[in-house]
Amino acid sequence: MADIEIEIDGNIINAKAGEMLIAVTDREGISVPRFCYHKKLSIAANCRMCLVDVEGAPKPQPACSTPISDGMKIHTQNDKAKASQKAVMEFLLINHPLDCPICDQGGECELQDVAMDHGSDVSRFTEGKRIVADSDIGALIQTDMTRCIHCTRCVRFGAEVAGIMEMGGTGRGEDMKIEPFLAEGIQSELSGNMIDVCPVGALTSKPFRYELRSWQMNAVSNVARHDLVGSNIYTQTYKGRVKRIVAKDNESVNETWISDRDRFSYEGLSHENRLLVPKIKVEGAWQEVEWNVALDFAVRGLEKNVRQADQLGALSSNTATLEEFYLLQKILRGTGSENIDHRLNVKDIDNTISLESNIKLAGLEGVDHALVIGSNLRLEQPMINHRLRKASLSGASIDVINAMAFDFNYRINSENIIAPNQTALTLASILKSVLKSAHTEVPEYLGNAEVTEIATQLANQLTDSDNSVIILGEHVINNPQALSISNLISEIAQKTNSTILNVSATANSMAAGLAHFVPGKGGLDVNAMLAANLNAYILLDIYPQYDFHHSVQAIEALSNDDTFVISLNSFKDDVVSEYSDVLLPIASFYETSGSHVNVEGKVQSFTAAVNAPSDAKPAWKVLKVLADLLELPGFHYADSMQVTSEIMHKSYKQHVHDENIDITVKRGVNVIWQKSPYAVDVLSRHAVSLQDTKIGQINSASMNKATAKKLEITQGDNYLGVPVSISESVANSCVFVNANHAIRGQS
Amino acid sequence: MNEVCFKTLDQKDPWSLKTYEANGGYSVWRKILKGEFTPEQIIDELKTSGLRGRGGAGFPTGLKWSFMPRNADMQKYVVCNSDEGEPGTCKDRDILRYNPHSVIEGMAIGGFVMNATKGYNYIRGEFMEPFYRFEGALKEAYAEGLLGENLYDSSVSFDLYTHLGAGAYICGEETALLESLEGKKGQPRFKPPFPANVGLFGMPTTINNTESFASVPDILAKGGQWFADIGVENSGGCKLFSVTGHVNEPANFEVPMGTSFKDLLEMAGGVREGHTLKAVIPGGSSTPVLTAEAAMAMTMDYDGIEKAGSMLGAGSVIIMDDSTCMVETLTRLAHFYYDESCGQCTPCREGTGWLYRVLKRIMDGNGKADDIDLLMGVQDKIMGNTICALGDAAAMPVESFLRNFRKEFEYYIEHGKSMVKG
Ligand SMILES: Cc1cc2nc3c(=O)[nH]c(=O)nc-3n(C[C@H](O)[C@H](O)[C@H](O)COP(=O)(O)O)c2cc1C
Ligand code: SF4
Ligand code: SF4
Ligand code: FES
Repeated sequence: MADIEIEIDGNIINAKAGEMLIAVTDREGISVPRFCYHKKLSIAANCRMCLVDVEGAPKPQPACSTPISDGMKIHTQNDKAKASQKAVMEFLLINHPLDCPICDQGGECELQDVAMDHGSDVSRFTEGKRIVADSDIGALIQTDMTRCIHCTRCVRFGAEVAGIMEMGGTGRGEDMKIEPFLAEGIQSELSGNMIDVCPVGALTSKPFRYELRSWQMNAVSNVARHDLVGSNIYTQTYKGRVKRIVAKDNESVNETWISDRDRFSYEGLSHENRLLVPKIKVEGAWQEVEWNVALDFAVRGLEKNVRQADQLGALSSNTATLEEFYLLQKILRGTGSENIDHRLNVKDIDNTISLESNIKLAGLEGVDHALVIGSNLRLEQPMINHRLRKASLSGASIDVINAMAFDFNYRINSENIIAPNQTALTLASILKSVLKSAHTEVPEYLGNAEVTEIATQLANQLTDSDNSVIILGEHVINNPQALSISNLISEIAQKTNSTILNVSATANSMAAGLAHFVPGKGGLDVNAMLAANLNAYILLDIYPQYDFHHSVQAIEALSNDDTFVISLNSFKDDVVSEYSDVLLPIASFYETSGSHVNVEGKVQSFTAAVNAPSDAKPAWKVLKVLADLLELPGFHYADSMQVTSEIMHKSYKQHVHDENIDITVKRGVNVIWQKSPYAVDVLSRHAVSLQDTKIGQINSASMNKATAKKLEITQGDNYLGVPVSISESVANSCVFVNANHAIRGQS
Repeated sequence: MNEVCFKTLDQKDPWSLKTYEANGGYSVWRKILKGEFTPEQIIDELKTSGLRGRGGAGFPTGLKWSFMPRNADMQKYVVCNSDEGEPGTCKDRDILRYNPHSVIEGMAIGGFVMNATKGYNYIRGEFMEPFYRFEGALKEAYAEGLLGENLYDSSVSFDLYTHLGAGAYICGEETALLESLEGKKGQPRFKPPFPANVGLFGMPTTINNTESFASVPDILAKGGQWFADIGVENSGGCKLFSVTGHVNEPANFEVPMGTSFKDLLEMAGGVREGHTLKAVIPGGSSTPVLTAEAAMAMTMDYDGIEKAGSMLGAGSVIIMDDSTCMVETLTRLAHFYYDESCGQCTPCREGTGWLYRVLKRIMDGNGKADDIDLLMGVQDKIMGNTICALGDAAAMPVESFLRNFRKEFEYYIEHGKSMVKG
């Protein structure tokens, strides 16, 4: 686009021909009022608030939909522009209830703000005002549609970003109503963003309803830790509590949006189930004690039980901060133990995925092809899925290899529902096809793979695109051939010049890698530790029945009479109480400073927005004091930032992985076990409103009829503690478990 | 009279292919199929003819057709606007009933000129008879090989489809019509981009009124100059005027542009016995009302009507005699726009209801002294601030009624009853 000169309010401004006027005024800091315009949504030009005077145009022109051209002279403030803006403001207000004192948007309402600048004091409207009936649209969004100004931002958000048009405008004229088309209400995993885009109090946060005014709260920048994105957020706090979470712009991470999980999980923070006081177990009975007593007890316990350094193990959940991972591994290594692991949900560490991502989040929207393997991306990594959807909308083709059919919110080029035990073979066929068409030698291990028509198609897509990515998801981690799958993907990516995005381990698992929270030389991995009957453990926010793949064995091993267990937990849990000897209450999300490492390796640090409740303390501090009491050197940190910078100065060599590839099909039924999207971690499990959504209800062991027959179970039965649902959308010989162990109760 | 669109009106089965062809119909189309016409020639003839869009805005048709990127490598469309919803107009309905082939031929010619191989005729939802007539004519044209692919072994193809609307006035606005045709809610799009660049299904599209298309075949058969000479300067040819209201013989009349209003009124049998002319809306309800005096001095062409203080619009002449209460009439019109606003943009959605409610309140005897200023203020705030011209159309009658007949409004407000009807 050519550079041109235009004149705005007498100032010469350089811009690009064809840019919308409002983009130029926004860049230049010239204020033009608007309601319907939103930089991330299509233009609607319906509110008419942005009318300005363009010399030569007979009518005032909307800045949001007027492309600029060379020499254009624009007045945003002259009488003509002001008269139009004032006129529109008056129209917007005549049917608006103006009940700001009882409206939740009060204080952060765009209508209020613009009215202060552009409205009149007295209304000349004396006719009756419009009243619009509300409908219940779900657990997360409160509607007050009488306040709606029909800007259609929410409608466009649904259609364009969420990818399902849940809100729409029905009726016409004054009776036009913005409402969901379907009685089920709003179900998108990104629905909360409608609250952010709604300029008025028509759509507000239901859990936050009538709580507080925005100006009463402090907004602290923060980073969400539920997935691999690390979406930027503001935690809004009042009197030491997180009251609401809204999105914070960060173009390269989450743009302007956040997932509902990141927005509403804070409700769990005030759940009655929080662990609040340190406790020690004396002769089988729990005693609430002071911190120093508990830590002393812990240290003495370790001294007594760990007679050999390698009798101590450390395990952590994937939601720990980078600094917590680091300090805990440093303690272990300081005592001489290499028994360190966070891969609790992996069945067999020797057969696991080892793939490095090499594409940026923002780069994802520029791909022209993607092959997604083993992921329900939309519910697992909503913001990554959103980037891929953008790529799809700009023409990228997307192929899928999954064990079950899922709802994607973009067009899938070819959806291949393949039994887990066929995944490696399918990838081998793809690789073989790639090699054959490149006339390269086919290695021996691909001998058995038959190049099927589907494999050829999938291979050609990868070869023929200039910018393709292979995305590997969670469902594959416990595939009997996980390692082979991972190695095949490496090969295919290399041969087809594709990038890789590995989303198989979520939350802050990238930080665990960066902090070297894995066994070192001679150390035991998680499963080996459990089998080895260690004498002592330090466990970081672990809830074994949900977190371990081998949960029964884990609980058994931890419950051993002669095993001393120090548990740092943010929430109470009966099983944890059962096997632990010391319970140390720790801060949850937003209550501690620390860092998240996202899928592209970006380290994002955050401060604590609030203090942890009662006696609970940030885990990094607890670990530091524990190290001091153990008289380990090198723990003189004044704050978590010093820990962070120490980590950034280290670099751990990635351990070499096994390049073995085995494509023989293993017989038998495969179980893909996954936490339900709103129960991925202890905080989301306790977030009550999220559980009341459609996604929150996901809790099933899905399998097709044939598999059910083989397992001799029927619909309504339980399988692995989860209700059985018979569905032909699941591949043969596969049970797809989506377990939701939400904890009900008061928040 | 009745030289172009209505020329077969008095013949037997005027809507049939036989009658149409007996009067020279499809001669231009057949010439095109034989390669005897170029698009450039056609555009030149149209420009010479002075034909201006008959849908209301009066945009020169030749010029409009020349805007289409005819060489762009994508599907292009021609769309005929037969939604005819403007209060006072009923001319397109009669073209479809009595001369549907002229619309088909006009659209086919348009398709050839603009390299658009597909056309749609969007017919108002209530027009069942016109719909069946047009469908019947389409069948005949297909059977005769005049529509379809590679017609008469030429490289010219043109397929034409009928679409029945669902009775919303706003779907007559060209971009709302396109939305509706795409199966969406009928709401105008903002411009730019214009339909010539981004139209139906995002493809270049030209939209013309039924009468505009129906005039094209004769213009090309007899020459642009012939058509121009029928009319006057700036208003080529003849035009259909729908004369309704307080006249003895309401009807459609196809008369040369420039005909005096007086003559037109006479053709319609004059004002009812025992009454005198009070006011005239010359171009459909969206155009400003004129006093009898101004109307009687006016000629029926673009410039003539503008000089009198109004607009030719769709040529829908609404005659009001001295029994008309202007407050009541304006209230009825205001209700129409209030009812028909699509609701998309703020000034029209909120303003049309406001206008109607104030007028209704006056009618109910609860008028207030400053209501006239209020009405003037509100219409002024709608005017020019909306996405489509419906906003202006709602504002203009209010302004002109109040300006020309202010006393009647003042009387109603003061006395709580009509000055005319008591
Ligand atoms: C509210 C509104 C209603 C309209 N209704 C009609 C209609 O019923 N028929 C029509 O031909 N044009 C109608 N128009 C005008 C069209 O938008 C468009 O200008 C016309 O179809 C172009 O054709 P022409 O150039 O042949 O006049 C309407 C415009 C507005 C703003
Ligand atoms: S609900 Fe809010 S975002 Fe949606 S149209 Fe109404 S005002 Fe706009
Ligand atoms: S002016 Fe009225 S009819 Fe036209 S787009 Fe706006 S609301 Fe709809
Ligand atoms: S912001 Fe431009 S019309 Fe709404």
